[in-house]
Amino acid sequence: MTPTSSATPWTCPFCPLLCDGFALEARDGGVPALVGSDCTRARAALARFGAAAATPAIDGQAASLDAALDAAARLLAGARQPLFAGLGTDIDGARALYPLTCATGAISDAASGEALMHGLRALQDRGQFTTTLAEVRNRAEIVVCFGGSPREAMPEIWRRIGIGELLVPQREVVFVGSPADAALAGLPGVTTTSIPLEGDLFDTVALLSACTAQRRVHAPAAIAALAERLRAARYAALLFEPARLPAQGMLIVEALNQVVTHLNRSTRAGLLPLGGVDGSSSVNQTFTWLSGLPLRSRAGPLGLEHEPLRHETTSLLARGDVDALLWVASFGSEPARPATDVPTVVIGGPGVAAPAKGVFLPATTPGIGGIGHLFRTDGVVALPLEAVRDDGLPGVADLAKALTARVKALKS
Amino acid sequence: MSSLRIRNGRVVDPVHGTDAVRDLGIRDGRIVEIHPQEAVGEEIDATGCVVMAGGIDLHSHIGGGKVNLARMLLPEDHRLNRDPIALPTNPLELASCGHCTPGTLATGYRYAEMGYTAAFEPAMLAANARHAHMEMGDTPILDHGAYVMLGNDELFLQLLAEGKDFQFIRDYVGWTINASKALGVKVVNPGGISAFKFNQRKLDVDEEHVHWRVTPRAIVHTLAKALRELGVPHPLHIHGSNLGVAGNIESTLATIDALDGLPAHLTHIQFHAYGTEGPKKFSSAARQLAEAVNANPNISLDVGQILFGQTVTASGDTMRQHANADLGTPRKWIGADIECDAGCGVVPFKYREQSFVNALQWLIGLEIFLLVDDPWRVVMTTDHPNGAPFTTYPHLIRLLMDKSFRDEQMAKLNPDAVAMSSLGSIKRELSLNEIAIMTRAGPARLLGLADRGHVGVGAAADIAIYREDANRETMFTAPDHVFKDGVRVARQGVITATPTGGTHFVEPVYDKGIEKLLEKYAHEHLAVAPRHLVIGHDELCRCCNGGKLLPAACFETAAN
Repeated sequence: MTPTSSATPWTCPFCPLLCDGFALEARDGGVPALVGSDCTRARAALARFGAAAATPAIDGQAASLDAALDAAARLLAGARQPLFAGLGTDIDGARALYPLTCATGAISDAASGEALMHGLRALQDRGQFTTTLAEVRNRAEIVVCFGGSPREAMPEIWRRIGIGELLVPQREVVFVGSPADAALAGLPGVTTTSIPLEGDLFDTVALLSACTAQRRVHAPAAIAALAERLRAARYAALLFEPARLPAQGMLIVEALNQVVTHLNRSTRAGLLPLGGVDGSSSVNQTFTWLSGLPLRSRAGPLGLEHEPLRHETTSLLARGDVDALLWVASFGSEPARPATDVPTVVIGGPGVAAPAKGVFLPATTPGIGGIGHLFRTDGVVALPLEAVRDDGLPGVADLAKALTARVKALKS
Repeated sequence: MSSLRIRNGRVVDPVHGTDAVRDLGIRDGRIVEIHPQEAVGEEIDATGCVVMAGGIDLHSHIGGGKVNLARMLLPEDHRLNRDPIALPTNPLELASCGHCTPGTLATGYRYAEMGYTAAFEPAMLAANARHAHMEMGDTPILDHGAYVMLGNDELFLQLLAEGKDFQFIRDYVGWTINASKALGVKVVNPGGISAFKFNQRKLDVDEEHVHWRVTPRAIVHTLAKALRELGVPHPLHIHGSNLGVAGNIESTLATIDALDGLPAHLTHIQFHAYGTEGPKKFSSAARQLAEAVNANPNISLDVGQILFGQTVTASGDTMRQHANADLGTPRKWIGADIECDAGCGVVPFKYREQSFVNALQWLIGLEIFLLVDDPWRVVMTTDHPNGAPFTTYPHLIRLLMDKSFRDEQMAKLNPDAVAMSSLGSIKRELSLNEIAIMTRAGPARLLGLADRGHVGVGAAADIAIYREDANRETMFTAPDHVFKDGVRVARQGVITATPTGGTHFVEPVYDKGIEKLLEKYAHEHLAVAPRHLVIGHDELCRCCNGGKLLPAACFETAAN
């Protein structure tokens, strides 16, 4: 795990764990090499950084940065209701994008907005009790994973929460609704269990909640036994990935919070959501502190409006409720841009396609070509991102500031 | 930068013992002598106005994780009944809303409109320090700083439990202040946040932490001593044991005793001054507290006054917030165990005039303001937003300065609570000079900010010019002019400029040998690389939105 001499310490921006214990070896013009980890997700993301940087473009034709910024500003300033979506950027980018949303009255939504809203809507209705990576590492005797092994999307998860370390000599890792992760087999002090769903995940979690509250319900023995083990443990951590939850997933989050609430009446437990990918939770936090309201809000004619359901990218585009799209995807790992005829400005990282109609502004990636900050999955720890090479591209913040100045000039 | 003369105002400057009509000169952001005949860029006729240094809020939850969680928890706080909050009409303001936890932008605007020019976040977690600095950096106009939380981090408790040399622990405290770029240190429910992670539900001052077997008494004493030896100007900021619990005056007095004469600041003391008398076993202990404070010159305090209405309590005290969660309105709350470092609890509250407990809390707060003799040791706070949002300060000032208004308000309260309080018999009305002490001169002195909180030559030109009004609430709501470092930032309640504020912090000297321990601890227990434990100057500057870095000087001690 010790970095080689030519490698530099690196903070990986490509998954919400923000691993900062590995290193990156920059290679001239080539794909930077990850040192100290076999993380498939990081390697896949890094593989996009081999090609030469893209250039600004208008309607698919190469253009100067100034001309592209002018065209993008005209497009956004002329729109009646723009949508800022994707929002794949870091805190610096978000700080600069917010004034642009104010100047244009844009609605803001992240590419993983649906997953973000599962947690946020549950929070708004009932609250939450969460824990963090180091707490789980030092305390959790039982770790319960709902809806699948988190290692599939976050290959370093077990190391990050210390599974197999002897800080907690005996740990049980429980998989609800999926087989036990084979990677845990043989780790010292670790036992694994798999519990099948009873009905769907909604039903299963509701039953678990009832059992932890010691209500009289007819629950399968495995669920009742899990509730007992949770109640007997000194500290339990409940892990789930918002991105894996089905529609109305907020109800599952709410029920998981209830499990934690019941447990905390007699012992200790916390929820650890694993999400906020591609900067979405960082942008959400930043917009929240600046404006008071989270994503899926806009500074509209009536005032600051937050609409966690109505301000959703796909349906806004499908209904024709927006007449311009600013798509921000500076990591390159974001999902593909939704297909739309709406005039589009793309601020994109490596591998992000320029729109056939509209403006393309290439941006550097925080943590590769630019410095920056992101929040880790627990929402508490914000880490600095190091730049590992100079690609000469502006950051999202630079572009957003330039656009804001131009939009203001056009509107004055 | 052009020069400015403020002519003929009543200058109230307790630091220099001034309460007189005179002129004030400003050049290049500083207070200067300007000859009466000298031409100036601008002259303001302040006849009929009171001129003070800008207000300083030494304890206001303006930035960081729990504040942002409170915003997310309460989208209803960011609406006006069912409607969205209208956009600002002032082109200098960006859209930002919220009543008890406004967005950072609105926080800066609203503070500045009231004549405040600095606010300090009292509960910054080392694990969340970057975030806290970012939010403060995005709070326009105000200078800011934060107190880092210690005394619930497992490493400190372990060092104390293992009986490590005091110097070693002192160096760790110095390292933490430097790493997080803090202006001071706060301890919250000493040991209690950690104890709650081990499922302990109560921790008295002389009770042992169930795992580490150390007492809050030892934690408080060690931290207070460390800060004195490090020469940190702001003494230990203490949120004591048993917040909100009937009878907690015993814990508060025991905490004062634990200090053994070491300087300390007891924060939101209203929440820690409860007795157990009367039919409901809940009573005011303001007199006992005031006697102790009057007798112990090492103690300063801020009040944490409650005012009626909806607010939200945001605290690091997971243990007590968990216990209070079922009392919240609306019934939802947030808690967290955080990084072997600290915790947080966010519980919405609606303080009601007809509630016996809430009415008594209101009475106790005002009693404390009026019963402690030395205004230099009493700071005006509502513990924003925990007792009430900071926007209630003008109302609170009127309550303190106007006995008949106070009596009027008291008549609206739960009569059983009023009957148990001595507030009605307290005749004291605070003077403008005393208000100036409690809202700027005192806090500046307690924080070690030599060039703030007064209007002497050389001071920063942070100035508020209030038009005299017998109704002190009106007077303190929207001053005629507010200057920040010589720049006019508000005029009669309208923002006129939005400069980025500066960051106050201290850089105590400590033995760098401690870094080895921290590196080892990070590898063995934490979830961040050691290189990320420390915020450097460049990074602080980026977090704080490019605002000035304002390191405060430590005082000379035998140790450094």
